[in-house]
Amino acid sequence: MRRVTPDTIAIVDLGVCDRCGLCLPLCPPEAIHLELNILTVDDAACTGCEKCIAPCPVGALAMVAYA
Amino acid sequence: MPDVDVLVVGAGPAGAVAAWHAKLAAPELDVVLLERDRAVGAPVRCAEGVGDAGLREFANPDGADWVSRRITDVIFEAPDDTQIVLAECGIGWILDRSRFDAHLAAQAAAAGAEVLVGAEATGMSRNGAERWHVRVKERGREEVYRARVVIGADGVETMVGRWAGLDTRVPSRDMESCAQYVLQGIDFNPDAIYLQFSNAIAPGGYAWIFPKAVGIANVGLGIVALKTDGRNARQYLDDWIARRFPNGARTGYTVGGVIVHTTIKKTYTDGVLVAGDAAHMINPLSGGGINNAMKAGRLAGCTAAAAVRENDTSERRLARYHQTWMEVLGEDHLKYYRIKQALEHMDDAFLNSLARTVNKIAADKRTIGRVFTHALMRHPQLIPVAARFFV
Repeated sequence: MRRVTPDTIAIVDLGVCDRCGLCLPLCPPEAIHLELNILTVDDAACTGCEKCIAPCPVGALAMVAYA
Repeated sequence: MPDVDVLVVGAGPAGAVAAWHAKLAAPELDVVLLERDRAVGAPVRCAEGVGDAGLREFANPDGADWVSRRITDVIFEAPDDTQIVLAECGIGWILDRSRFDAHLAAQAAAAGAEVLVGAEATGMSRNGAERWHVRVKERGREEVYRARVVIGADGVETMVGRWAGLDTRVPSRDMESCAQYVLQGIDFNPDAIYLQFSNAIAPGGYAWIFPKAVGIANVGLGIVALKTDGRNARQYLDDWIARRFPNGARTGYTVGGVIVHTTIKKTYTDGVLVAGDAAHMINPLSGGGINNAMKAGRLAGCTAAAAVRENDTSERRLARYHQTWMEVLGEDHLKYYRIKQALEHMDDAFLNSLARTVNKIAADKRTIGRVFTHALMRHPQLIPVAARFFV
């Protein structure tokens, strides 16, 4: 998939994340994974579209610069 | 490498009923029910409300230990807290999901299904073979199950559907972000559920009070992120509770997503069925999903069992599941979705005036049908809403 923003990606704060899984079906490139109770964002697949950021009920996802 | 006939991923209401009814339909089959968490029913990510008639198709709530509260009233609240008490709204129940889900899983086990807790499906592939190969992690070991039919009942994440190549993604506008506390020591009518509609309190969704006992309730809300002012669901909830129940003791907390979409375009493929939240089988107007999930689970379990017996688990055979679901409830959800879209344009000032209009109907005559027709007469802008419903 084409990058939506050229130089940012989503990252999760596992100290805040409740593992509810809400963000997984929102991710167009299916870059978010939840396995063995750990949420991860595949930085190679994330397009920076930000669709996962606002819906997180606890604000556990944020955009960061990706070099 | 265990061989099974039907492998069900996820032991919520959809999965447990699917495993249970697959065994009832074909007792000779090997049916395995996987639960990722260490206990069926935990953690609870649910407001736990359910209608009486749908529930009774699967379990008798009278005196059951998995019930928290019997509900006889519905109270709608406008943004300015004007209350509308509905007459003849029917009976409902607030469940104790941790016990209810375990009860359903026990039914599956009693019918002969094998229930595995702490067992997480982490991927699956078919590679042209007759069976799906499903990788399952259990207590640090990985095992590959070979299954003739996999039923994906894995909730909002819906990984089975994704692995099988089905499109299970959700547009942002159709995802409700929810947060909920269990509050103790608060004052409300314990026989009623409360639903408050307001763009300031819960944009795109509603706030709820669902009684679990006298003075104890699930108090939560759902919002659509696209419509918010930048606060997340938990912040909206904290602000609402600070106003409504500043002295309530917070003894529980949960968050989660409710997909207020319509059923995914395709709920089946070769050797795979998807049911419940995983297939977006939620009433998009109410956000209710438990009875829908059980009905879909029963249909999936029976379809899978019949397909295995007939030795035809092809996509063409399993398509009957989708057709039947759409006839039973899927088409209704399309209607509810159209209503939801029409209601999205009502602002708080309009909702307040609607509540005052509707309250002029005598309390004992205030049925949902009369509320609707009265609202239509006084507020012609609602006619397109009605028109969409009857299209």
